[in-house]
Amino acid sequence: MNVRRAGSIALALVAVAAASACGSSGGTTTVTKSQAGGGGDSKVLVGAGSTFVAPLVQQWEADYVKSPAAVTVTYGAIGSGGGVDQITARTVDFGASDAPLSADQAAACKGCIQIPWSLGAVAITYNVKGLQNKIHLTGPVIADMFMGKVTSWNDPEIAKLNPGVSLPDTHITPVYRSDGSGTSFAFTDWLTKVSPDWANNVGTSTQPPFPTGTGAEHSSGVVAAVQATDGAVTYVDLAYVQANDLQYALLQNAAGNYPEPGIKSVIAAAKVGTSNPDGSISLVNPPASAADAYPDATFTYVIVPQSSPKASTLKDFLKYAIGPTGQAFGPPLGYPKLPSSIVASDQQLIDKIGS
Amino acid sequence: MTTETPTSHIPLSARRRWRLGDVLLQGIAGAAALGLAALMVLLVVEVVGQAHAALSEFGLGFLHTSVWNTVKDTYGALDLIFGTLVTAAVALLIAVPLAIAIGLFLSELAPRALRTPVGTMVELLAAIPSVVLGLWGILVLGPFLNEHVEPFMIAHLGFVPFLDGFPSPVGLLPACLILTLMVVPIVASISRELFTSVPGELKQGALALGATRWEMVRGVAMPQVSGGLVAAVMLGFGRAVGEAIAVTQVIGGSLTRPDSIYAPADTMASRLAAQYAGTATSLQKSSLAYLAVILLVISLLTNVAAQVIVRRIQRRLGHR
Repeated sequence: MNVRRAGSIALALVAVAAASACGSSGGTTTVTKSQAGGGGDSKVLVGAGSTFVAPLVQQWEADYVKSPAAVTVTYGAIGSGGGVDQITARTVDFGASDAPLSADQAAACKGCIQIPWSLGAVAITYNVKGLQNKIHLTGPVIADMFMGKVTSWNDPEIAKLNPGVSLPDTHITPVYRSDGSGTSFAFTDWLTKVSPDWANNVGTSTQPPFPTGTGAEHSSGVVAAVQATDGAVTYVDLAYVQANDLQYALLQNAAGNYPEPGIKSVIAAAKVGTSNPDGSISLVNPPASAADAYPDATFTYVIVPQSSPKASTLKDFLKYAIGPTGQAFGPPLGYPKLPSSIVASDQQLIDKIGS
Repeated sequence: MTTETPTSHIPLSARRRWRLGDVLLQGIAGAAALGLAALMVLLVVEVVGQAHAALSEFGLGFLHTSVWNTVKDTYGALDLIFGTLVTAAVALLIAVPLAIAIGLFLSELAPRALRTPVGTMVELLAAIPSVVLGLWGILVLGPFLNEHVEPFMIAHLGFVPFLDGFPSPVGLLPACLILTLMVVPIVASISRELFTSVPGELKQGALALGATRWEMVRGVAMPQVSGGLVAAVMLGFGRAVGEAIAVTQVIGGSLTRPDSIYAPADTMASRLAAQYAGTATSLQKSSLAYLAVILLVISLLTNVAAQVIVRRIQRRLGHR
C-alpha cells in the first residue's frame, strides 16, 4: 500500500462521513402512513401529540382495547407541536395538543376540529437540596427566574414570599421544553398575562425563546433534567409531578391566594374559563373572583379531521374518552373530569366528524 | 470480439447466459450507482426547497444573526454556528493528538500480542451507537463533570474568560467530550492503517541508519502519511459537525449563546433534531431546513478541502 492508496481510502471515507453527517439529524418519532391515515384497519386508531395528556391516554388505550369496541389505540407522546404536524400531514387518525391551533396551523390542517378532552394543572417543580416542598411563588417572580433576572434560590424576591423558610444560595437553573409543547404554551401564556416584562421580552409560544436555561425534550425529559440538577426548576403537567414524587411550588392566583394544584383548583379555574373565537378556552390567570382557582391550568385538545376515513371508529373512541368511563381515569392522575357544559359542546363537535 | 477463442469451447447456450449475466451486472450496478447519485441530488433539491422561505426571508443575514425567536418569528444561525464550531474544534483538539498516538502505538510501538485486542476495542468504540454514548453522557459523564470537574475548573481556572461560570450537568463541555469519544476511534483506526501502509523498507532503512524510533516516525512515517492524516482529521470534523442525537442529549439545548464552557449551548444539527418535530411556525421549519443547507455546505467544503490538501501533499511527495 502506498500513500496514494491510503489517501484515497481516507478520501472515500470522508465522502461517506460527509453524507452520513447530514443524514443523522432524525431521531424523532414519526408514524408511517401505512399504520394510519388513509384507510387501513378500522379496529386500530393511531394518535400522536401532547405529552401532557399522555398518562391519561395510556389508561384509555389499555381500557378501550378490552371494551366491547375492542379497538386498539396507539398513542405516540411526541409533544403537542409534533401532534399538530402529524395530523396536518394526516399520518395519524388524531393529534393531541394542549395549545389551541394557531391561525396558521388551523389553515394548514384544512378542516380540523379541536375538541377539549381533558384539562389539568401546569405545575412548577424544583429540585433544590435543603429547600422544603411547596414554597410560595408568583408569576412575576417565576418570569424573572426564567429570564435570568432572579438567579439564586435565596434571592430577596423569593425570600419576600417565603418568610421563615430557609433558602439555600443555590444557582437557579431553569429547564424548559426544547420541542414544540402545549405545556410551554400554557406556561408562557400565564407569564405573559401576569408579567409585562415577560410579555415584552419573551411572549407566548409552543417553543418560546427562553433567554436562559437548559432545554430538554418532552415532559419526561424536563423531569429527568430537573432530577439531575441541583437548583433546577421547570414547568410540567401535574401528573408527572405526582408520578415522580417531585417537589412543587404553590402559585399565587389573582385573588392573592396560594391554592394547592389539583382537581379542585383546576375545576375552579375551568368554571370561569373564557372562550376564544377559535373555539379554544383559556384557563390561565382566572379573575380574582375565583378565589381558589389554580392560576396556570389548561385544557388539552384532541385534533381530528372533519372528514376521516375512520370516522365512526374515531367518533366512538372520542365519545368514550369524554364520557363517564374515560373521564373516570382522570382524577387519580390529577386530571379533573370535564365540566358537563364542555362535554355537551364536545358532543356537538364530535357529531361534525364524517367520512 | 477478440475474446472469441477462449470461450469458443463453451456451449452456445452457456455463452448466452454469460451475456445475460453481464447485462444484469451492468444494469444492477449502474442503477445502484446512478440511483444513489439521483438520491443525493433529490435530497439537496428537497432540503433547499424546504429552506426556500427562510432563504428568501433572511438571506445571508441568517449566518450572522443570533436571534432564534418563535414569537417574533425571526431566526438566525450565528449562535448555532458558534456552538457547532466550538464543540467540533475542541473535540478535534483533544481527539487528534490522542488518536494519532493510538494509531502509532498500534502500528509501530505495541507488542504484537496487544495490537489486535486493543485495535479491536478502538474499533468497537466507533461502533457504539451515538444515542448510547449520549445516554452515558447524561447518566455518567454529565453528573461527574458537574460534581467534580467543573467546580474544580471554576475554582482554579475561573480567571480565564469563558472558564468561569456555574457547573451544569449539560452544556458545552460534556458535548465536546462526547464528540471527542466519537472522533478518536475514527481517526485512530485510519491513522493505524496509514502507518501500517508505510513501506517496511523505508522504516527499517531509517532505523538501520541509526535513527531512533521517534526520528523514524517524524522523519519517515509522518511525511508519508500526512495526506491521509489530514483526510482522517477532516473525517473526524465531519462527524463532529454533523452529530445530532448524542449532542442533543448532553448539550442542554440553550436558545442563547453560552457565557461559559459549562453552560448549556446548542449546535445546528442538535437544534434540527430537537425542534423539527412540532415547529411553532412554518418559517421556523424553513429556518431549520436552512440549517440543514448550512450543514450540507460545510460537508461539501470539508470534502473539497480534504481532497485539495491530500492532492497537494501527494504532489509534494512526488507521487505525480
